Amino acid sequence: MASTALRRLMAEFKQLSENPPEGLMAGPISDENYFEWEAAITGPQDTVFEDGVFIARLTFPQDYPLNPPKMKFMSKIFHPNIYADGRVCISILHAPGDDPMGYEQSSERWSPVQSVEKVLLSVMSMLAEPNTESPANVDAAKMWRENREDFKKIAHKHVRMTLEEDPPSESRNT
Amino acid sequence: MSSESPPPAASGDNQDELILAQKEAIAQDIASNASLVGNLEPVYSLEREFSHDAVFMTKIGNLKGRYAELRRTRPDGNCFFRAVAYRYFELLLHRPDEYERIKALLPRAKAQMIELGMPTFTLEDFYDNFMDHVDRVGQAHMDAQQLFETFNEPGQSDYLVVFLRLLTSMQLQRNAEFYQNFMEGDKTVAEFCATEVEPMYNESDHIHITALTEATGISLRVIYLDRGSQTEASLHDFPDQGESAATTPLVHLLYRPGHYDVIYPVKSTSESGPATSNATVTTTAELSS
Repeated sequence: MASTALRRLMAEFKQLSENPPEGLMAGPISDENYFEWEAAITGPQDTVFEDGVFIARLTFPQDYPLNPPKMKFMSKIFHPNIYADGRVCISILHAPGDDPMGYEQSSERWSPVQSVEKVLLSVMSMLAEPNTESPANVDAAKMWRENREDFKKIAHKHVRMTLEEDPPSESRNT
Repeated sequence: MSSESPPPAASGDNQDELILAQKEAIAQDIASNASLVGNLEPVYSLEREFSHDAVFMTKIGNLKGRYAELRRTRPDGNCFFRAVAYRYFELLLHRPDEYERIKALLPRAKAQMIELGMPTFTLEDFYDNFMDHVDRVGQAHMDAQQLFETFNEPGQSDYLVVFLRLLTSMQLQRNAEFYQNFMEGDKTVAEFCATEVEPMYNESDHIHITALTEATGISLRVIYLDRGSQTEASLHDFPDQGESAATTPLVHLLYRPGHYDVIYPVKSTSESGPATSNATVTTTAELSS
């Protein structure tokens, strides 16, 4: 099972390296393990996350791309759709039926024709436009709705942290 | 600082993870009890399972005259697609006419999929893999045993299933106006494809079968073994040829509520050996027209 997954991940990595989408970089953490990737996502322009470079981990299942990867931010980020521990909560990372957050019928779901690139682009738009309907971080959702100024301050602080921080390590703040 | 350190995720999250873990456990249980594609068994092996049920027993009894063997597939939601794929590849082993036909058809289908907006890069991954297997089987670089092993290797087997799902999705979306009539509620055909057709492990219905047979030109007969009151299992041909079905479909499936297996007619042209003579080729060309 892992052989088809490995072949696909290698092809996706090649594709992403040759034609990197603007603001995105991703690849395996080591040549020995193609099932663990690190991604760097630039905060979209004209949003509170502008200029930040947020680091995330992608963990792929052995039956990728039949099932989606899991994604977790290693950089500190305060966002309605990101759990306090960094896990990303977005419909494209779930197959239809796996319905933790009760996503809308029409929201984009995982299917084997999706890709790492598609996931990262979706996460990028999620940074720009949080979905406060089914928040993973209730406090962030509340602040986003009710106190945008404070939300901005926290976001700016995290943006600065991403620019200062050393390359991320396993020991993320918890 | 306090506003930056929100409390741990709500307990609802744990609930969801428990449900997902349970679904995973059920899937693993099924996986350990059933091969993706099983060995040939005589049709009467069904009698063991239904010995307590008079309606099923009568229908199985009547099936025995027409069908000799059965090949079970794993009940994982992909059984329809896997059963069709397996039986079709098996036919390709000795149907050069069918190999030529599908080899000409698939590139057109791929172009139509791209036209519909399916992502080229990932689509090609599944297309190339499927085509590669069509070639290997069609050019005799793979024999029946290797085919059986391929279909029981989870990654490879599922890759072939994905491609048939994409073909089905393509056919539905290209004919969205027609298929919209069969959608429940206000679901669009595109939404149906995204949630019920393309993702793995979603069971197939009449509409999937119709679309796949249209997209591929693979004719199919489904024998329905259910609790209906007749003594004969009812059958349905795709495409529907009405009462006067002159030709025998290529692929035969046995349906039991919620599941499809491959079933082999007593006398199947395709099973009579490699199509070496011109006469056989003529016959099969008629079949597939």
